[in-house]
Amino acid sequence: MVKNLPVVPTAKAGSLVETPTGITWRVQYPVISEKCNMCLDCTLFCPDGALIQQEGKIELILSLCKGCGICANECKENAIQMVPEYSGVQGVFR
Amino acid sequence: MALSIADLPKEELFGQGNAGCGGCGAAVAGRQAMKALGSRTIMTIPASCMATMGGSNLKTTWQIPFYHTLFEIAPAVSSGIRAALEVQGIEDVNVVSWAGDAGTADIGFQALTGAAERNEHMLHVCYDNEMYMNTGGQTGSQTPMYAVTSNMSKGKTIKKKNMLAIMEAHGIDYVASASIAYPLDLIAKFKKAAEKPGFSYIHILAPCHRGWQIPQEKTIEFARLAVESGLFELYEVEDGLRTRNVEPSFIPVEDYLTPQGRFKNLTPEAIQSIQAGVNRHYGRGE
Repeated sequence: MVKNLPVVPTAKAGSLVETPTGITWRVQYPVISEKCNMCLDCTLFCPDGALIQQEGKIELILSLCKGCGICANECKENAIQMVPEYSGVQGVFR
Repeated sequence: MALSIADLPKEELFGQGNAGCGGCGAAVAGRQAMKALGSRTIMTIPASCMATMGGSNLKTTWQIPFYHTLFEIAPAVSSGIRAALEVQGIEDVNVVSWAGDAGTADIGFQALTGAAERNEHMLHVCYDNEMYMNTGGQTGSQTPMYAVTSNMSKGKTIKKKNMLAIMEAHGIDYVASASIAYPLDLIAKFKKAAEKPGFSYIHILAPCHRGWQIPQEKTIEFARLAVESGLFELYEVEDGLRTRNVEPSFIPVEDYLTPQGRFKNLTPEAIQSIQAGVNRHYGRGE
């Protein structure tokens, strides 16, 4: 017998995808280079599901990324580099 | 049957836009587990990071029914859900209770041991970050010896409770330990547990970089080091038969312990005693 499972009444399923939490914390984001050999490890190690496999390559959904750097740390080919969001003047402004 | 990442379902049932910290080990565990369990799953979660991460009130990251229970009763609620499904004749749904180490080993233990004794058709998952992280990192029974926590500033003085051995002693259908650093092993264990007709228990080591005081990008790395050093054994017990799934390479436990801020009070003698404990454990045979 197939019956649809009940949905949470107060929240639409997956509604946090449109307004993700925590992306304002991001100070760096991953850039995937051509060295990627599609081992797909990063798609399972990303806590936020920001790295997905699409059309034969790894795509980054920047709006979901919190910039933790797990993907760059775990990549066996060193194909992922973390790039700072802001590289301008830093320090105390007068 | 060898799994490969390319064969796994592409749908994201948990994780996208979650409210956890960057580099959260529990979110990784949840995402990997949902790849195995699929959309026909009902989840009950007691008070824990995992419950707050899933969203609150008007927003949620879950694509499946998710019930936020009281702290003590997640396996009991799951038992009730299974009974209701049986009455309605629905058989293709996985009923899962997903608790942290407090909701499993300490506060939620009586409901868990009751459900295990009745051999309910369900799966209980413990994601173990070895501290009460949602309330600020207090000591629990799953905290390892010598670890500094927010309420034990000189380090815990008693050993970690062996939760896997306790659950094994219930004589349930399936007991396994898993680590987020070995995703295919973890997914294979969830698939196996979902097929069992009775109670299954899976214990996942999911580091918390805030509590362990490690850099956030090294969450997975430390989950791997725990297995490689032999301190967290990956094994499963199926029909009374114990199998080790990953043979550790036995790096010195020092390489795992000393980079963590929570073990800053560790003395050389303490490291030696931990290493001796690991050697003794693996020396006793399967």
